Amino acid sequence: MEERIEERAEAKPRSLTALQEQLIWALLGSGLSRDVLVQAIGELQRDRSSTGGERGERGDGESSEEGEMDFPPPIFRELEKLSPEETAKLRAEVDRLLQEDPWHVAKIVKSYMQQHNLPQREVVESTGLNQSHLSQHLNKGTPMKNQKRASLYTWYVKKQCEISQQFTNAKHGLASAEEQGEETRKGRRNRFKWGPASLQILFHAYERQKNPSKEEREGLVEDCNRAECHQRGVSSSQLAGLGSNLVTEVRVYNWFANRRKEEAFRHKLALDTPFTNQSASSSHHNIPPSPEHGVKYSQQILCDAVSSARGSVGERVGRLVVSPAQLEPSHTLLETHNPKLVSAGVQVLVYLVNYLYMHCCHPDHAVLYPQVSSGGPLPPVSTLTSLHSLSASPASSQGLIMASLPSVMSLGESSLLIGLASSQAKSVPVINNVGGGFTTLQPISFQQQLHGSSQQPISHQLQSHMGASPFMATMAQLPCHMYNKSDSPQYHTVPSSLLSQAMVITEGSSLGTLTSLTAVRQILTADPEELTDSPLQEDSLHMQPQTPVPVSSESLELYPVSQTTESHQSHILSPSPTDIGSYIPTQMVSTAQ
Amino acid sequence: MAGKIQSLSEEERAHLLPLLRNAQWVEVGTRDAIYKEFIFKDFNQAFGFMSRVALQAEKMDHHPEWFNVYNKVQITLSTHDCGGLSQRDITMATFIDQASLM
Repeated sequence: MEERIEERAEAKPRSLTALQEQLIWALLGSGLSRDVLVQAIGELQRDRSSTGGERGERGDGESSEEGEMDFPPPIFRELEKLSPEETAKLRAEVDRLLQEDPWHVAKIVKSYMQQHNLPQREVVESTGLNQSHLSQHLNKGTPMKNQKRASLYTWYVKKQCEISQQFTNAKHGLASAEEQGEETRKGRRNRFKWGPASLQILFHAYERQKNPSKEEREGLVEDCNRAECHQRGVSSSQLAGLGSNLVTEVRVYNWFANRRKEEAFRHKLALDTPFTNQSASSSHHNIPPSPEHGVKYSQQILCDAVSSARGSVGERVGRLVVSPAQLEPSHTLLETHNPKLVSAGVQVLVYLVNYLYMHCCHPDHAVLYPQVSSGGPLPPVSTLTSLHSLSASPASSQGLIMASLPSVMSLGESSLLIGLASSQAKSVPVINNVGGGFTTLQPISFQQQLHGSSQQPISHQLQSHMGASPFMATMAQLPCHMYNKSDSPQYHTVPSSLLSQAMVITEGSSLGTLTSLTAVRQILTADPEELTDSPLQEDSLHMQPQTPVPVSSESLELYPVSQTTESHQSHILSPSPTDIGSYIPTQMVSTAQ
Repeated sequence: MAGKIQSLSEEERAHLLPLLRNAQWVEVGTRDAIYKEFIFKDFNQAFGFMSRVALQAEKMDHHPEWFNVYNKVQITLSTHDCGGLSQRDITMATFIDQASLM
């Protein structure tokens, strides 16, 4: 036996001393399998480095993030012998990633974040990257300099360690992992976010029963957590690894409460605007959590259920996020539309995140689904917190429309028209973006008519948007904000002078991308057959109609969108001819085919 | 440590000790213990052996008294709790013999 050992020892490259070999053999002989040993090594090193890091206020982390190109302060080397080793390992991994194709790595990182429901905010905080840039890089492949990519990858590598630690510790029943989490960095944990898997479960349950009992809720908690663990590729019940995204009974309770409020609100809106609506039956197909209306869909979709329904045809979600400040426009828009969408007619998703409501409601209200708390009269905005675009469609076919509208939802197949008349109607009021600023968004009730024939109402409603109520999305600032990505949970918020509301319009076939539109255009085309009128309305918050502005008609004329009954059309509303001139990009409206 | 470990009964001793004696374990005169000395080719081997024994000791929660100088390892086995030999010592002795051959 000893001879054998000797032979082996001589045969192998002299990377190990004889004693080391002996020790390794001893370890291997003690019942440790090779895999367990290797894994344990990794864990131990992470434990050590993180302990060392914590002692130094995670200086190892922070400083290496920021001072990535510098050396971590030597003091940390002293703290933990393994720290430099660990750092070296991390760096090696980061370097490896840097060699790879950036887009490829971006996809990896992005999918990891989706899998674990990590907010971009966290990345931004610990890397100092610009969130907009980060989002663009991850979702669209916008180039990022090596130094910045290095800090991103560093965060990624560390996060992986952290998360695997969390899961491991969960296994051992240790709670220490939690401490390493955001606690030390932030004063509190990351905000909880529903994952797509959980949402699917919840929506199904909601269909069955809107008001589950405590036992049922607890069952849902189990189901959701299990699903989330599976999504992360972890065995069920390693719950600690879910961290801040752990589903609890309270959260389930709140979710149901919010959905009920949403429904009540939609119902209320529907009562307010008695338009008949041809609901697009087709819109129902693809959406798993199928509420009765398109609007509901969109809400749900917005709720991120979309991502779970990503596969479904014709789901497009446009979401708009409203910035907290009332006057502060923020919007996101995007929209993808599913080429498969059969529904003719342009679907306009006007997605108004009720920034209005949001402002009134405390955004962090725990009760509501992520962002909005529905208070009394305020509509429960829940889903419209971020824009999603699902089922990326060919790049060309996206239309982004930003308008400040109370809410817009994009429906998979149904088109939400905001004040859109039917195909011919282009009486969409132009949303005028004054100068560069946004005026306050005012709740404008808009009734959409999705009638094939009636166009007046639209102009009516849309009018309100005009002139006085300038809400718009500044397109100009959003050069290409069409995010053609599927289930990208992040949305891009355009800072400063952007609309607080954005309207997203999805078109059945293709929408011209409204780029650099400073005016908000509403592009609505509705296929006569597929108008879902009330749903839209329900979602859109009631708005007080304002004096009809003649402008709309003018502006409408600017768009000689050919309309066929079947075709989708997008109309871009521009504030005024003069303004429009400057705004309208060439590809503004593309008629759907 | 759970329970009080029992010292070996006479029967067991009569049965087991001969085997150990055959393996070059000797009974210590002054106390109820067994002893053996191992010699290895070099320190690394010796220490490798000791590592294996150590890991096992931890597993069994039963630790030998030992001395090491370079390639020599002298081991004495006894159970403190019962002041003499116990089954654990026997088990450990057997393991040690195996380990020394690896």
